[in-house]
Amino acid sequence: MVEISQPTAPVGPADAVASPKPVQDERLREASLLTKAMRRPELGALAGLVLVTIFFLSTADSSMFTLAGMMNILTPASQLGILAVAAALLMIGGEFDLSIGSMVAFAGLIFGAFLLLTGWPLPLAIAATLVVAALLGGLNGQIVIRTRLPSFIVTLAFLFILRGLSLVGLKWASGGSTQMRGIGDQAGEGVVREIFSGNALEGLFAWLASHDVIAKFPNGTPTVTGVPVSIVWFILFALVATWILLRTRAGNWIFAAGGDANAARNSGVPVDRVKTGLFMLTACAAALVAILTVLDAGSTDARRGFQKEFEAIIAAVIGGCLLTGGYGSAIGAFFGAIIFGMVSIGLTYTRFDSDWFQVFLGAMLLLAVLFNNFIRRKVTGER
Amino acid sequence: MDTVSNAPLIDIRNVVKHFGSVIALSGVSLTVNRGEVMCLLGDNGAGKSTLIKTLAGVHRPTSGEFLVDGHHITFTSPRDALDAGIATVYQDLAMIPLMSVTRNFFMGREPVKGVWPFRFVDFDHCDAVTREEMHRIGIDVRDPHQAVGTLSGGERQCVAIARAVYFGAKVLILDEPTSALGVAQTSMVLKYIHQVRQKGLGVIFITHNVRHAYAVGDRFTVLNRGKTLGTYKKSEIQIDALQNLMAGGKELQAVSAELGGMV
Amino acid sequence: MKSLITGLAAAAALTLAAVAPASAQQNSRIIVVSHGQANDPFWSVVKNGVTAAGQDMKVQVDYRAPETFDMVAMGQLIDAAVNQKPAGLIVSIPDASALGPAIQKAVSAGIPVVSMNSGSDVSKKLGALLHVGQDELDAGKAAGAKLKEMGGKVGLCVNHEVGNVSLDLRCKGFTEGFGGKVTVLPVSNDPADIRAKVKAALASDTSIDTVMALGASLAGEPTVAAVKEAGKGGAVRVASFDLSANFLKAVSAGEAAFAVDQQQYLQGYLPVAFLALNAKYGLIPGGNVPSGPNLITKEKAAQVVDLSAKGIR
Repeated sequence: MVEISQPTAPVGPADAVASPKPVQDERLREASLLTKAMRRPELGALAGLVLVTIFFLSTADSSMFTLAGMMNILTPASQLGILAVAAALLMIGGEFDLSIGSMVAFAGLIFGAFLLLTGWPLPLAIAATLVVAALLGGLNGQIVIRTRLPSFIVTLAFLFILRGLSLVGLKWASGGSTQMRGIGDQAGEGVVREIFSGNALEGLFAWLASHDVIAKFPNGTPTVTGVPVSIVWFILFALVATWILLRTRAGNWIFAAGGDANAARNSGVPVDRVKTGLFMLTACAAALVAILTVLDAGSTDARRGFQKEFEAIIAAVIGGCLLTGGYGSAIGAFFGAIIFGMVSIGLTYTRFDSDWFQVFLGAMLLLAVLFNNFIRRKVTGER
Repeated sequence: MDTVSNAPLIDIRNVVKHFGSVIALSGVSLTVNRGEVMCLLGDNGAGKSTLIKTLAGVHRPTSGEFLVDGHHITFTSPRDALDAGIATVYQDLAMIPLMSVTRNFFMGREPVKGVWPFRFVDFDHCDAVTREEMHRIGIDVRDPHQAVGTLSGGERQCVAIARAVYFGAKVLILDEPTSALGVAQTSMVLKYIHQVRQKGLGVIFITHNVRHAYAVGDRFTVLNRGKTLGTYKKSEIQIDALQNLMAGGKELQAVSAELGGMV
Repeated sequence: MKSLITGLAAAAALTLAAVAPASAQQNSRIIVVSHGQANDPFWSVVKNGVTAAGQDMKVQVDYRAPETFDMVAMGQLIDAAVNQKPAGLIVSIPDASALGPAIQKAVSAGIPVVSMNSGSDVSKKLGALLHVGQDELDAGKAAGAKLKEMGGKVGLCVNHEVGNVSLDLRCKGFTEGFGGKVTVLPVSNDPADIRAKVKAALASDTSIDTVMALGASLAGEPTVAAVKEAGKGGAVRVASFDLSANFLKAVSAGEAAFAVDQQQYLQGYLPVAFLALNAKYGLIPGGNVPSGPNLITKEKAAQVVDLSAKGIR
């Protein structure tokens, strides 16, 4: 037997192995349900949403909180939200993608070109657009990984490149205009069209209107004809992203890659594959938003998605994502996007002069982020 | 408990490593047996980290023999080393402070359930295992979802070791595990290393702190300027002599005398 | 925690105090949704017209625009306006397919809609009562006719965005009004490029005596410079659509013939006035109202420069 001499504490035969400790340690203060709830990164965003709602309840026209008003707010929220959830996943994974706004415009151009110039049927055009976007996202990712440059810089470069290509491409494709029209007609009707544009559950809403459950216009059509498809996509995407993040292996890898890429690599996590995959995801999210908005608008132009990359990052940060990576949630970004949509559209329901809008937007976002930060620090025990 | 089996777990004979014109290792030999703690001592610059990386499969030796369990072997990547049962716990521990203990424990080796594409991680199993392992080490994990960042340095070190052991390591290479720790935490880690030894694993404990090494080691190898100066059983050498060997003798004694024996 | 809550409460109270009571005064409220940001010099004139009309007619007016040229956001703003059931809605229509559904929704809701500035061709079809703006074709004709009157025979129309319907119509109208031989010169929207190309065109065809530019600061000013550089200051007449300070100076100095003012102030003012009267008495003009063109020649230039500093022209 080897003797161990310790300068300080005596060593017994590993006393920890002795008696099985009770499952509930008396030192474990039963964390109150509230504290447990508040530990979750998204609670700050939810609290921010409550704050913003209270603000508008007192200053905005009451029509903002009707069914039509809510749909009106959720539509831009959902378009931003799809981008925000993807951006949140990437941010948790430790990287930024500043090119997603430009990617929306570029994907819109590609989509329009596939429909109008090559005349492909809608399902093929959609698939092809997503493939092109994924390839570009993958390119972004590979450049970031191989050069070890900050993703901020690499994707910033792509922000300009893609925006420029959108302008050049649109002018070439439309013979000199910065808009491409007639896409809606070319896309035709059908099941695929129903999934990617228009409203869902139209039958239900028509029924509700005929039974006077929801409001109608003077000419009899319901004020809300259905749930805009982008809202459905938004909710689905947020749910899937949350499940992936919290319940799957890939989710653990995303947290690991963002928390400490080196430690993750040493533990066998395929960090490069994870990051490349996340860049492809953000690009595809941008393409999805492009497809949804182009089909609804029937046209695309060179300014689509302008500055959306910053809004997406802000929504993710409001939702609890750390800019340094490794912490955050997709549901938080979900609420963050709703806050954004509520503030930007909600201000038009108030009597404030529109010159003040940007001031308000910035102030509200700052408040929401500070509040969120405060809650997070209080409950994760940071001093 | 500490029966030495016929073949040492690890047997390195005259390993040399050059990086271009720099000679990092110029003839290192050591062996590690089952159920034994082999302390690798050497001051900074002696070549310890190069040796660890070679053992862990990060570098390939320029020349020399490397036997694991009696078989000649070459590692082409860290994966190979892991597969051969050699687990390395680096100084940064490969722990991610923001993630929970459970997630860290199973990082890279998450057990999955379910059918593709709906495969998910079996977190119930993970939580249970983590709790049990933490109990065994003696760490009070108040909540399996608490972040690793809330654990002390010593606790994190033990979690890292426990992780390596749980996932089937035969040989543990610990790179300066106690160098950044206070007294109480050091004793916690040393205690755990003792447990690990009793399990039958071989441990290579790298340090420049002779007292820690002497507390827990069975044999000691001193590394100086890329060469092994000798291997000694505990019964063969005293702590001061070890220290001298490491640091190069007389000057240290003089300094020690000046500082009133505090070195 | 306490101090934070107190702080938030104080901020909330201040904000609420500063806000005019959002009373249910919905009967005489008019909402303007345009694609022009209020910080754009052209559109701030429109907004000033809107505000002035609101004060004169004693109705509440709100001016809304997306932060950038964003048709998707603009459609959502129109939806928001419709939900608030105003007494009248004023919109600009730069993209009929993107904005069409929202505008039609407004019409279905029974809200009187007037369009302005852009979209005169689709306005009626979408259900608007009338359009206030400058008909580009007519404006081009008027400009062409004036230049013909001044003695022009061979003309050049500088188009900096071929494919932009409004600009194409301007050149087309100019050709019809001018009567003589007109060449359309396509250029990019880079002033230096425009200057070079106009100079080259003047050099290659010495019979050109008239040049029509379609935007004052972008194309008009470089054209004046090009004509000067080519040494044809007295021989070639330059005119441009829209206004800019430097171009008006050139007009005052005699270096340019005139500028075509679409009087966007009226595009803001008149629709508000019409809808206010419509809400009060049910009155509405029977057709589109052209806000321009008003040809600003040397005599009128000084006054216009003055008013442009005040945001009225």
